[in-house]
Amino acid sequence: MTDNTENTENAVGTKSTEPVERHSYDVVVIGAGGAGLRAAIEARHAGKRVAVISKSLFGKAHTVMAEGGAAAAMGNVNPKDNWQVHFRDTMRGGKFLNHFRMAELHAKEAPDRIWELETWGALFDRTKEGKISQRNFGGHEYPRLAHVGDRTGLELIRTLQQRVVALQQEDKASTGDYEANLRVFAETTIVRLLKDASGRIAGAVGYYRETGQFVVFEAPAVIMATGGIGRSYTVTSNSWEYTGDGHALALLAGAALVNMEFVQFHPTGMVWPPSVKGILVTESVRGDGGVLRNSEGKRFMFDYVPDVFRKQYAETEEEADRWYDDQENNRRPPELLPRDEVARSINSEVKAGRGTPNGGVFLDVSTRLPAEEIRRRLPSMYHQFKELADVDITAQPMEVGPTCHYVMGGIEVDPDTQGTVVPGLYAAGECSGGMHGSNRLGGNSLSDLLVFGRRAGLHAAEYIDGLGTAGKPAVAAADVDAALEEALAPLANADGENPYTLHHELQVTMNTLVGIIRKPEEVSEALTKLEEFKPRRTKVGAAGGRRFNPGWHVALDLRNMLIVSECVAKAALEREESRGGHTRDDHPAMSSKWRQINLICSLNEDGSGIDLKHQPIPTIRPDLLGLFEVSELQKYFTDEELTVLGDSAEPVAEAKPAGEAKPAAEPEVKSEPATESKAEAKSEPEAKPEAKTEPAPIPGQSNGEKAADTAADKVAEKSTEKSATAEAEEQTAQAEAEAQTEDAETAAEEK
Amino acid sequence: MSTATVQEHVETSASGKAGIEMMTITVRIRRYNPEVDAAPHWVDYQVTADPTARILDSLHKIKWEQDGSLTFRRSCAHGVCGSDAMRINGKNRLACKALVKDLNPTKPITVEPIQGLPVLKDLVVDMEPFFQAYRDVKPFLIAHGNEPTRERIQSQKDRDRFDDTTKCILCAACTTSCPVFWADGQYFGPAAIVNAHRFIFDSRDDGANERLEILNDREGVWRCRTTFNCTEACPRGIQITQAIAEVKRALITRRVI
Ligand SMILES: Cc1cc2nc3c(=O)[nH]c(=O)nc-3n(C[C@H](O)[C@H](O)[C@H](O)COP(=O)(O)OP(=O)(O)OC[C@H]3O[C@@H](n4cnc5c(N)ncnc54)[C@H](O)[C@@H]3O)c2cc1C
Ligand code: SF4
Ligand code: FES
Repeated sequence: MTDNTENTENAVGTKSTEPVERHSYDVVVIGAGGAGLRAAIEARHAGKRVAVISKSLFGKAHTVMAEGGAAAAMGNVNPKDNWQVHFRDTMRGGKFLNHFRMAELHAKEAPDRIWELETWGALFDRTKEGKISQRNFGGHEYPRLAHVGDRTGLELIRTLQQRVVALQQEDKASTGDYEANLRVFAETTIVRLLKDASGRIAGAVGYYRETGQFVVFEAPAVIMATGGIGRSYTVTSNSWEYTGDGHALALLAGAALVNMEFVQFHPTGMVWPPSVKGILVTESVRGDGGVLRNSEGKRFMFDYVPDVFRKQYAETEEEADRWYDDQENNRRPPELLPRDEVARSINSEVKAGRGTPNGGVFLDVSTRLPAEEIRRRLPSMYHQFKELADVDITAQPMEVGPTCHYVMGGIEVDPDTQGTVVPGLYAAGECSGGMHGSNRLGGNSLSDLLVFGRRAGLHAAEYIDGLGTAGKPAVAAADVDAALEEALAPLANADGENPYTLHHELQVTMNTLVGIIRKPEEVSEALTKLEEFKPRRTKVGAAGGRRFNPGWHVALDLRNMLIVSECVAKAALEREESRGGHTRDDHPAMSSKWRQINLICSLNEDGSGIDLKHQPIPTIRPDLLGLFEVSELQKYFTDEELTVLGDSAEPVAEAKPAGEAKPAAEPEVKSEPATESKAEAKSEPEAKPEAKTEPAPIPGQSNGEKAADTAADKVAEKSTEKSATAEAEEQTAQAEAEAQTEDAETAAEEK
Repeated sequence: MSTATVQEHVETSASGKAGIEMMTITVRIRRYNPEVDAAPHWVDYQVTADPTARILDSLHKIKWEQDGSLTFRRSCAHGVCGSDAMRINGKNRLACKALVKDLNPTKPITVEPIQGLPVLKDLVVDMEPFFQAYRDVKPFLIAHGNEPTRERIQSQKDRDRFDDTTKCILCAACTTSCPVFWADGQYFGPAAIVNAHRFIFDSRDDGANERLEILNDREGVWRCRTTFNCTEACPRGIQITQAIAEVKRALITRRVI
């Protein structure tokens, strides 16, 4: 194990009598999932000494569970695919609440990250020509997910793990020490981030799970890559690691969380038997032909295609079925709508009494593909149902229902650098926010991990270079003392409340009161309960000593789960519209006014709770807006937002094939995180607009099928040359102007 | 609660369709806390369990309701991460995939740590020797010559050649079921050979000879006595004994096919 007892002295100068091990690194990456490992590799490539810290064993992070694949517009299966199409799909999926710049970078860079993974040895299923194969997934216009059967996450983690081992063996050859430049601290939990007197990141403090001993990492740059929050819900597909640690640690250190109300409920989790409720049934089942039926045998999804998606989805079963073989001339089956739509539809069917005996709906692939084909394409699913539910999916339908799966909200970062408002603190992967807007498309997470993991590693390294030799931040001993005291409390409290009881109550509260459909009175009730949980949390006890004491670990995780739950509930109560992973019973429609608002959580002054504020969303660059049909944009945007388009939105020819569309070198701009816009954003929009008027048609705009790719391309080339800082300023100004003209306009709404 | 979620329906009908009968089972756990215990010892726990539940669920119940200090590793809870290999009723399995009904619940179900690795606490062992053997076989693509600008081309057939051994989740169930490994901790063990196989037979890899040389070692493939324990233990159904045989053959013929 990781015991490196040479400095177990209390070397940080703390008052506590606790022995504290101390390590010094350039970059500390918290999390060894896809994002963390990719960040660590990049920082190590940039010549930095890097530590990677993980609650679980190396190679077992949550990312191993990803099944379906990683989305990247390589165009291997359909050459029409390119970054613009991927960008469009991502923005549509997120209902235009995504940070456009992140969605843009993601769409442009994902293919390179997948190819790079292949050259590092990753296994992929292949096309006839031996290229990386790509599969269909909900919300993606073309087959786009690079995959290995249904164990893509395992292969992704394994490849990155192998890369780390390879780098360590290189270091061994050149320095004699495997861990000279890159060391993994497995089964180690971080409990606090540390800052210096001027507010810059200085390190982190944690404990070894095995021994219960504390360890301090001194580092000028810390990258959060801790994943999600699903363990605050009863029914979840998430692993035990998902207690929202990264979200909470960043918040406690002064960073902000953005749009925490958006929690993705995956439409298809297992519902039976009870002990496996929540375990994921991969979307590939639907991508490969599986259909959803209610208890009456009806393919009900045809009844739930919302207006905004009407054009892209089939209206009849015949058309939907033809699509699998001929995607040129048919529209996609509605089972492949984005996840939020499918989850809500299943919920409605069950509520209307058309559910299965165990309260789900049927997902059937047995009547759709030959048994042999099912076993070949979906081996893990075949075994999962056979072994855990005694169901043979080649002969019987599965029973499925929604399960808490992914959090779109997360640590607010600069889209280019992944930096937060705290100097030296970066975030990537599921714990960061912005990229996926109000709803993530399947497959967009694995690619997100690679694209932004790399960027975080790169920019953390650059940040350190910028510090020079003099400026290394110092850890304050008093902060370490405070962290140790907080962490030791449950051990001293042997007679305190059982932490599992509180955890269970929290899960039930979140699941029932802040679940898929939110009612204000229920969310308020949840907030009241959360307030009651707070004092109880400080009194939980954990008997059983320091060594591998799971009760103690949960007692500490509870702080983070409570913080994150409060953020989710507060934001859910505030946002009075329904969009993506946030559905308000009393505001069932999407509102163009709310689309302009990001909800930002930060720690309140005395540290006892969460402050919530409105912040204008960055204005999407016109060249990117030009990628959409105006008639589509009208469903999301206010009219005045669309006036910037002018006449650039002419219909144009086909999208370019991926090869030609490869982006010119991206400007690596080092803009500071969105501080400027934040400072401006204190004022709340006075009215919470819910205009019900129909959008006025914009004269002179065409309704042609294809978006304005070529026109937009020209603008894109021009505007990417601009520095992002200038861009950010421009956006702020624009957003302000828009906020002021609010009352003058009508909002487009979706039914 | 008025938000009718799928969950509520499950609650009301769980016993309906399937007619799940709860039963009381005895789980006999090998416990050891080096801070207080001189030696490992067995402790019996009575828990109510639904026969379709997994042993992992029973372990959780014990931890939540009876003894919060019971220690075991787990993460994904459905057989993908490889954290919870244990010896259950004398056989290595993943606790998250071992169903109560398949374990003769009328008798006490024994649960103990996997064998051959040092026990740290209760069901948790030190995995470091296991990972060291994994690292020793150079588990990464070794490719000489020009990096492709995009991807290497690999036919589906070439890729299928080593598909089986890419499924490994590094759970150690195989290695810790191997009598040769129990007798001699220096032996690489089946999992390391499986992971070497994964690269030796990858058409993109140029490091086969290096790895074969490593496995030609005294503690390498030749120590395998073909007892098939590993293949039986593997929760991923990997044909481990066959993979080992293929590596042996490649060593003899010095040909990788
Ligand atoms: C069942 C399932 C299937 C999925 N399938 C897909 C798919 O097909 N395609 C797709 O794109 N996405 C998929 N997703 C989503 C995707 O897997 C995750 O969003 C993604 O893996 C998150 O990766 P990450 O690197 O952000 O974090 P993770 O891989 O979760 O890693 C988090 C790391 O942080 C560590 N950590 C956490 N807290 C601390 C702390 N306090 N101290 C130290 N370390 C800490 C953890 O130990 C872990 O190492 C799926 C998710 C699930 C649950
Ligand atoms: S080969 Fe099978 S048993 Fe052995 S470590 Fe891999 S998955 Fe586990
Ligand atoms: S908990 Fe992941 S394999 Fe069992």
